[in-house]
Amino acid sequence: MSQKSDELKIYWKKIKYAFPILNNTLPTECTDQEYEEITQIIVGLGIQVKIRDLVLVHVEKYLRVYVAPSFWSKFTKVEEDIKAFQLFKSAVNDLYDSVNQFSDMLRRLKHLNNECCDNRPIFGEKDVILGFKQLLRATLLSQLPTTYYIIINHFYELSFNVFDNMKSSDMDEDICLGCWNEYSECNCAYIVKVFYDTNKKLVELQLLERLAGQVLTNFIQKKIEVHIRKICTGAFDVSHMSHLEDWLDTTVMTWLTRIYSAGSSQAPPGIKYAITKFKQKLSFFLYQTYTKLRIDQLFNIIIEYPDSQPAIDDIKTCLESTNLCPLLCKKLQTALETRLLHPGVNTPDILTAYISTIRALRHLDPSGIILETVTKPVRNYLRNREDTVRSVVSSLTEEGTGSELAEELAKFAAENDEDNEKEEAWDDWYPDPVDADPRRAQGPKGSDIISMLVNVYGSKELFVNEYRTLLADRLLAQGDINTEKEIRYLELLKLRFGESQLHFCEVMLKDISDSKRINTLISQDKNFAEMNAKFSSNAMILSAQFWPPFKDESLELPEEIKQHLAEYTKAYEGLKGNRTLSWKPHLGNVNIEIEIGEKKLDLTVSPFNATLIMHFQNKPEWLLEELHDIMKVPMTVLRRKITYWQSLGLITEKSSDYYVLVDGSEANKANVPSNQVQEMICEDEETESVMASAHDQREGELQVFWSYIVGMLTNLDSLPLERIHQMLKMFASQAPGTECSLNELRQFLDTKVRTHQLVLQGGMYKLPKL
Amino acid sequence: MKVTVKSWTGVATWRWIANDDNCGICRMPFDSCCPDCKLPGDDCPLVWGACSHCFHIHCIVKWLHSQPQQQCPMCRQDWKFNNK
Repeated sequence: MSQKSDELKIYWKKIKYAFPILNNTLPTECTDQEYEEITQIIVGLGIQVKIRDLVLVHVEKYLRVYVAPSFWSKFTKVEEDIKAFQLFKSAVNDLYDSVNQFSDMLRRLKHLNNECCDNRPIFGEKDVILGFKQLLRATLLSQLPTTYYIIINHFYELSFNVFDNMKSSDMDEDICLGCWNEYSECNCAYIVKVFYDTNKKLVELQLLERLAGQVLTNFIQKKIEVHIRKICTGAFDVSHMSHLEDWLDTTVMTWLTRIYSAGSSQAPPGIKYAITKFKQKLSFFLYQTYTKLRIDQLFNIIIEYPDSQPAIDDIKTCLESTNLCPLLCKKLQTALETRLLHPGVNTPDILTAYISTIRALRHLDPSGIILETVTKPVRNYLRNREDTVRSVVSSLTEEGTGSELAEELAKFAAENDEDNEKEEAWDDWYPDPVDADPRRAQGPKGSDIISMLVNVYGSKELFVNEYRTLLADRLLAQGDINTEKEIRYLELLKLRFGESQLHFCEVMLKDISDSKRINTLISQDKNFAEMNAKFSSNAMILSAQFWPPFKDESLELPEEIKQHLAEYTKAYEGLKGNRTLSWKPHLGNVNIEIEIGEKKLDLTVSPFNATLIMHFQNKPEWLLEELHDIMKVPMTVLRRKITYWQSLGLITEKSSDYYVLVDGSEANKANVPSNQVQEMICEDEETESVMASAHDQREGELQVFWSYIVGMLTNLDSLPLERIHQMLKMFASQAPGTECSLNELRQFLDTKVRTHQLVLQGGMYKLPKL
Repeated sequence: MKVTVKSWTGVATWRWIANDDNCGICRMPFDSCCPDCKLPGDDCPLVWGACSHCFHIHCIVKWLHSQPQQQCPMCRQDWKFNNK
């Protein structure tokens, strides 16, 4: 019995001699021959499986207790690149060495494993060596400290820096940009060597991916971001895409290849696959980062369009391979809202930006879906601005270059003929993107900028009305207008809005040219020639039905003028049987010459101002009330308009509401030089429209409802707003064009409350008690 | 101070001297034109009948063409053009 146990003790000693790991050490003098014998013993005893498993348990313990902690102990928080570089290098070296110490034993274990013949996987691997590596990785990673990436980061950053600067190093500077040392002590070569070495070891240990993969990815992504930020800020007129891809291909990918293939620039096939995968990820990231950056700048890019077209092209390419479209819409929408859609921005500026947006986004996305989503708030906002239509119309008809809309209008006329051919291009069709709103009208996608603008309102009518008002203003303001030019514009507009809508404008233009003819005819009239000897008078004779309604303003003209105009009417009646004229005394313009002292002023003023100064000619001092009596103009208006002559220094307000003519000598002192005066007039001419505004017109239309409302309230005493609206809808709005929204009705009723025609009590409207 | 008016450009609207505002046939204002015309005034004048009713010339001519008897559509008297 004791003999047997002795024998066993000897065997155990021998086994421990062959596998010193059982005593927690590695070195042994055991030769292959000795080992052969020991194997025989083990196999003889039939304990090969048990021994193998025991050894593996001890290997695991050894790695856990000695190798891993000593490896990780080097991973401290270090600030300097070079120190971290050294630490990482030594950590990897030590690890490599201690792993190498295992190699003898592993060989023996492998041998033993072959004797086991049980095909049991070792740590999930079919081979002892692979199993060991697996075990090593598992053990190492199980003890991963939280700050491990710091020195790895430093390590790769330093080497990347060196690598990045190897090709493009500037010899002019004293300091090597790679390692920040002076050239005399440049470390680059050393760094590159160590770098390759370390990587090679990591690859051999199959630890590169595990240990550095994440760090590398993060690091490269950071580099890409920094690089993009460095290159792509500010300039929108160059495309950066090809440059960026080039950079990724050359600098980054070559570097990566060298890491993985340990120094050589040609990667072995297995690694090549991994690198291609890596590259795909990186280039996706590159695209994404670049697109995000560009999306942040998109508002500025749009403002600079078409100069920024390359940037738009870039985004277009990128959007195809990233899914950032929703982000783009959201960001751009917010940018538009914060930068454009607030009261501080002029309507023309908003329009310019809107037009740029339309153009840029149409280029970006021909299907128009992004455009539609993004500009929705802009359209909503523009709809609420009062002067939108006016701005659009005036920029449409603006002279000269710089007016994009005018160009657009002319372009449309030219393109109109080509349109028919375009419809045939069915093979150019693309389906809508998946995120498109399916409820979207399937209208013509190529709707042009002007329609987009006009569609802000949903109808052409309002737009055309505004154009009419604007045209009327212009025709009346300018004595001799270039009708030919206006007709040309009108023709262009007709192409777009249709004949019938603009028929009124056509009549208006004809009125003006007819008036010229009539003026010539009348001035040849013998009876009238007498009158005309004093001063020439002309008239613009309008067809009232076709002009927008005029603001009602009263003005009593001086007697001589009235006579003159009466003569004109007579002459007209003689010329055109059965027709007569009704004058609008406050409209038109008058050319007068004022002699004051030695000075002569030649002015073109409104009839109002002419009348006013003519009164002062007869009597130098006036009370406001007297002026009011003689001119039949409200005092507030008088007070406002008399400032024109005050600004010229011809009239002063001596005391409140008491105006005095400044006589010659004083005028000279008070007055500015006459050439300056001339300039002032041009600016001082009233710019406000003589036409009733669209708002006033609308109120006139609502007036139709008033009798209904009065009837309702007489019968039912008091009603809330909603009820009135409903009743009106039921009874009164049969005719087209008389729909009115709840809001409009509220405004209308509020004006009635203000003029005491209605009483609002607790949300109920009532007729006031008489 | 002396103010001399050199020229005066006034603005006026023209209208027909008639005893009604609208044409009894097309119901359009006289100052506008009949439905077939584009331009008012000289191109679409009014005519007066002996019965003192007046219409757009195009309207009454159309009416007379469509009727077996030449009557004023307003008062059913025989229609005669009044060239006053």
